[in-house]
Amino acid sequence: MIRPTIRAASLKVTDPMPTFHRSFTSVDLMAYGAATWDWHRLHYDLDYARSVKLANVVVDGQALGAVCTKPLLDWLGPRAFIQKLTLKYRAMVFAGDTVRGEGEISAIHAEGDHDVVSVAQHLSVGDRLVAEARVEVRLPR
Amino acid sequence: MTLLTDELQAWIGREVTYEAHEELGRASIRYFALATRDDNPLYLDDAYARAAGYPSVIAPPTLVCETCQYAHRPPDESGCIGHEWRLPIAACGLIRAGNDYEFFRPVLPTDRVSVIWKLEDITERPSSRGGTQLFVTSAARYVNQDGETLAVNREVVVYQPLVPG
Repeated sequence: MIRPTIRAASLKVTDPMPTFHRSFTSVDLMAYGAATWDWHRLHYDLDYARSVKLANVVVDGQALGAVCTKPLLDWLGPRAFIQKLTLKYRAMVFAGDTVRGEGEISAIHAEGDHDVVSVAQHLSVGDRLVAEARVEVRLPR
Repeated sequence: MTLLTDELQAWIGREVTYEAHEELGRASIRYFALATRDDNPLYLDDAYARAAGYPSVIAPPTLVCETCQYAHRPPDESGCIGHEWRLPIAACGLIRAGNDYEFFRPVLPTDRVSVIWKLEDITERPSSRGGTQLFVTSAARYVNQDGETLAVNREVVVYQPLVPG
């Protein structure tokens, strides 16, 4: 059974997307590095991280792209297509942190035979803003 | 003292290409989905993906821009095996400021993804910590075996002097 894909006609600007949380253990950092062929020591070698004056091993900032697109696609459905993603990093995320994400629809416009929904997101760890994202999702009409 | 030397400016416009060694593959897609705790059946279940209108399972959107699967060299001292410019910049720390991705179609396990990196720009700007810092903008274009551009990733990294001044 294929889940339905939400149509833009049923959405409006300021609609919130589902809030999401994603924790990062040291195993998560290792797994992400391995899955992306990124063997940089910053993501698993605590001594190396400390040698460059960091408190802990660091989450690959680009991993936040997967973190913020997954809940959007889960929400909008299998025919939704991410066509643009802009990430601005504001602070580092470390092993042991839990990222909380929230966002809302900031624009909807027609583009050819489909619609494009823009979603603005804020990703935080506690009170610390760690990234801002703007995602454009193409939806069938 | 300027950080943006003539030697550094000469790097602007350089390109490097990393050819794919094999298809992206279903294993890479499933591995990425596992690592990101993403159980979307579009990445795992051919029958589901076909019923949703795709030719097979597809890759999660950011995988194509994230993977260094093109790599084929021993790790350097930092462990890196992927793309690095190795710019002649001394005594600076490096932080990632942002990524701008554009995706043109879902990536399939049969895509052989080569990557063309271009160093687009280097600018020197004042730092809130004093002194200046360098903003380096690069663009990576991800191309399959048919020459089709699958995605573009424009990223900005910042080189901050370890001792301001």
